[in-house]
Amino acid sequence: MTQDVLVTHGLTKRYGNHPVVDRVNLAVERGQIYGLVGRNGAGKTTLIRMVTGQSVPSDGELSLFGATGGKELAAMRARTGVMVETPSFYPYLTARQNLEYYRIQRGIPGDRVVDQVLEEVDLANTGKKTFKNFSLGMKQRMGLALALMNRPDFLLLDEPINGLDPEGIVEFRNLLLRLNQEHQTTILISSHILPELANLATCYGFIDNGVMLEEITAQALQEKCRACIEVQVDDASQAALVLEKALGMRDYEVLPGNIIRLYGCLDRPQEVARVLVEGGAALLSIESRGANLEDYFLSMIGGVRHA
Amino acid sequence: MRNYLTAECYKVFRRKYLYLTLLVVLALEGVLLWGCWLTSSWGNEGMNFYSAATLVAVMLSIGAYAPVLTCDMVFSEQYKQNTLKNEVSYGLSRARIYLGKLAVSTLVSLLAAAVMVALYVAGCWVLLPHGEQDAAAFALIGYGLAGAFPLWLGAQGITMACYFLVRNTTLAAFVGIGLLGVVPGIFQALGLLFNPMFETVRQLMPTVMLEKLPNMAFQADYLGLCWLVGLALLVVSTIVGLAAFQKKEVR
Repeated sequence: MTQDVLVTHGLTKRYGNHPVVDRVNLAVERGQIYGLVGRNGAGKTTLIRMVTGQSVPSDGELSLFGATGGKELAAMRARTGVMVETPSFYPYLTARQNLEYYRIQRGIPGDRVVDQVLEEVDLANTGKKTFKNFSLGMKQRMGLALALMNRPDFLLLDEPINGLDPEGIVEFRNLLLRLNQEHQTTILISSHILPELANLATCYGFIDNGVMLEEITAQALQEKCRACIEVQVDDASQAALVLEKALGMRDYEVLPGNIIRLYGCLDRPQEVARVLVEGGAALLSIESRGANLEDYFLSMIGGVRHA
Repeated sequence: MRNYLTAECYKVFRRKYLYLTLLVVLALEGVLLWGCWLTSSWGNEGMNFYSAATLVAVMLSIGAYAPVLTCDMVFSEQYKQNTLKNEVSYGLSRARIYLGKLAVSTLVSLLAAAVMVALYVAGCWVLLPHGEQDAAAFALIGYGLAGAFPLWLGAQGITMACYFLVRNTTLAAFVGIGLLGVVPGIFQALGLLFNPMFETVRQLMPTVMLEKLPNMAFQADYLGLCWLVGLALLVVSTIVGLAAFQKKEVR
């Protein structure tokens, strides 16, 4: 049985008359790693800020673990771990003091909690160094430490790998995967680094100009982006018979418009063309296709912009 | 709420800001005490425990501006550091955040005031000659503090509202000082130029009431008015500040 952790219906945020997030419907199921993809200013951060209560929606509804408002919703927010934009802490306190402050404030029991989480993010040896003297990567780790301190059921991470070095990115990815697999932690993550997102996400939401363009599972996206030879002919059924007979082709699909996608013979497009022509099919076009997350996103927003 | 208050105390009492401020004020008190002692040691009989200790009652109005510092210590530039998002996103209610900070800043103000008054009076007691009026000095200080306490609370409420409503901390401090220190002057001018009603309103402003307090010694009516005005200011400013903070964007 699936359980929705986060659901939004028509969630909208307007500044004046300008909608920054426009009637967004989104659903994150328990155990998912949901990748929120969008270019700068698409509305990702505003959407996350509404979910976390930092920003009050202009319109629409949101449900977190089934709670839709008031004290119930606030109580459910205590089951989340949040890292939105640059992590922020008191500059005059050390890593340990900052986390201890939030541990006390949130009523998280256990004296060892802070030490454990600092070890998890590799900040256990920062000693008396205050937050203002931390590097960007250390600040990101601190943000993650705070997000993880209450052992959340749902992690909301906005651009979490900004500032991390390559080793840090790999560690971070492994940590998220471990949390997801071992503790069934649901994760919503927005990132500009799409190849990194592709290594993690089990579901994607594509957002542009505040509008949710598409929600798709990683599996469905993989299907859509699968490498193939796409041919357009005058009669698809006849061409399919030719391909089956001449090349033994079984792994293909026929699309509207007499288009056939072939998932075999990927390294022999000239042979496919020859067989079709010799079989009497009028070959209108033939091309090798296949896309990654980046290509798919760019095609969706209609070309290269700042993703 | 208890966790929130404990955490705020954990933060504030780890700041050098609090101890440095206290040290500076105590040093100034030391200079004042030294001056009193010097005057007394030169043979000025007018300088004794009563005359030096009752200066506390005269200086009570300074306490109205102390919240600018204590609110700053507790609020800790949360808008500039963007740390409020860590609290809001965990589901802590904005009322708890607001009232928690107000409570802790009030606690810090009162603790600091207690330390300052106690050390000053103790210094006067040790260094200066005593007379028949010692008991009267304590009575005057007691009356002054009893009247000043609610007015300080009112000032605390106004200042905390400024810190929550104005994103820039320096500007918030200026607005707070302006409301407490400059507005009475404007009302005085308006009273003289246009309508005496402005002067009547001015008489109900915390800094003006604090200045008048030593001259109204032992008048129960005035003491009651101080409590009424102080608590009313605290309640109204907190309602206004909290209502605006509920809708404020937290970044």
